[in-house]
Amino acid sequence: MTSEQRISQQRRRVADWSGFMVTVTVGVLVVWAWVATDIDTGRLADSGGRIGAFLGRMFPPDWSVLPTVIDGSLETFHIALLGTIASIVLSLVLGVLAARTVTPPFIHMPLKWLLAAIRAIPLILVAMLMVGAVGLGPLPGILAIAFHSTGMLAKFYAEAIEGIPAGSLAALDSAGATWLQKLRFGAWPLIAPDLVRDTLFRFELNIRESLVLGLVGAGGIGFYIQTYVRTFQYDKAATLTIVVVIFVVLIELVNHVVRAALK
Amino acid sequence: MADVAQQILLSEIAFSYRSQNARVLDIDRLSIDAGEQVAFIGATGAGKTTLLRLIDGRLFGWTGRAEVLGRTLSPRRAAPRNWNANIGFVFQEYALIERSTVYQNVRNGRLGRTHSALSLVGLFSDRDETAVTEAINDVGLSDLADQRVDQLSGGQRQRVAVARCLAQEPKVLIADEPVSSLDPTSAEKVLDLVRACAEARGATLLISSHQPKLVAQYVDRVVGLKEGQIAFDTPAGAVTPEQLGSLYGWHVADTAARSA
Repeated sequence: MTSEQRISQQRRRVADWSGFMVTVTVGVLVVWAWVATDIDTGRLADSGGRIGAFLGRMFPPDWSVLPTVIDGSLETFHIALLGTIASIVLSLVLGVLAARTVTPPFIHMPLKWLLAAIRAIPLILVAMLMVGAVGLGPLPGILAIAFHSTGMLAKFYAEAIEGIPAGSLAALDSAGATWLQKLRFGAWPLIAPDLVRDTLFRFELNIRESLVLGLVGAGGIGFYIQTYVRTFQYDKAATLTIVVVIFVVLIELVNHVVRAALK
Repeated sequence: MADVAQQILLSEIAFSYRSQNARVLDIDRLSIDAGEQVAFIGATGAGKTTLLRLIDGRLFGWTGRAEVLGRTLSPRRAAPRNWNANIGFVFQEYALIERSTVYQNVRNGRLGRTHSALSLVGLFSDRDETAVTEAINDVGLSDLADQRVDQLSGGQRQRVAVARCLAQEPKVLIADEPVSSLDPTSAEKVLDLVRACAEARGATLLISSHQPKLVAQYVDRVVGLKEGQIAFDTPAGAVTPEQLGSLYGWHVADTAARSA
């Protein structure tokens, strides 16, 4: 046996062993979670009737609240849209600064950590802080979305910029292109489709996530979700659910079409 | 003729990368006249690309004296764009903008000539458009002008890169390993094209290659580089097997076998 064969055999053995360890670890975690949360399967079985009654109260949906629910959904849409646009502006600046190929390590490394930290803070928490800072209404929602999604968007932008092959820009340098010309004719055509795709993806996430903003007073449809469910008006909640589902599916369809066109 | 304009004159040039001690370039003197066709040959790491980047004004941190096209180069500052536009550079790996069309890529060669602010909003002069169209015709890609370059073959891509360089209307045409990624037939076509275009425009031609036999047929002077130094500098017909052997570390018997 050559040394290469021996090494590849060793590697294979390590791979087999690590696969087994992953399986065992996942198994232990599941058992731990099950025991710790003290789930009573009997209760789930008994509650069948209650779930039926509960669903029954959602039917028929109360369509009288339709205008209100549509208004609320539109407000959510506007919050997500403005928040995303604000995040694009922030991310363009931070994305360029966080790109390994553009700035020295003492700038791009701390920035990447900062973006990771921003991503780690849940939106609902950011929204609560923003409500505290600027008061109730759509504004704190917009600010929360802008802040929260910049953590992801700026990272995506930085990665797109890092993916630009250095040679392509050197060629423009050699032709005597200015810095702005290099950006316009070199970097932009190379990364524009990626940026648009990433941004649409984030916009879709922002729409979904901003549905809950109203729970903490940061505007949009979430306010009505809370109101109808807490006051047991399930027929109204049913109308709301239908509108939200249609709304989210529509946005997804539009995104899908645009993304397909970008290929 | 006592006063043929020396287009390129390098003296006492030394360059090394910060992380390494070894000299990447160590050139006592190199002089090239207007209209000459010169090949730079040598093994990988012999300093060919570095030398060509220096002449193209894109190398910094060297010491010595370098005059190119009447300008004394600075080892610290980039040259003005007019000067850059006079020197065209064809890259080994094409260095095209992959998602742009053939026409857009060739037009990028005009960026140093055209009005900077107007170009940003998509306005180019008639002169620019004419130069681009002519360059695309010259490399035989008129039919593919509106294709995206990521749909082209390697040989076609390198012709786009040559056209971009021609659209610059360069006085010096540099081709750095222009055919090392191409099959032999495409390679010969690209070299034919590069030489014909340089001759038609009266441009000085500098080609680097690690295929000495191939490239020597296209030039009138061959400069051998080894470890950043000029090992020999002779007319193209006069390169001996021993000289080639010294560049690549072959034994002479080996060299004979290879040239057979």
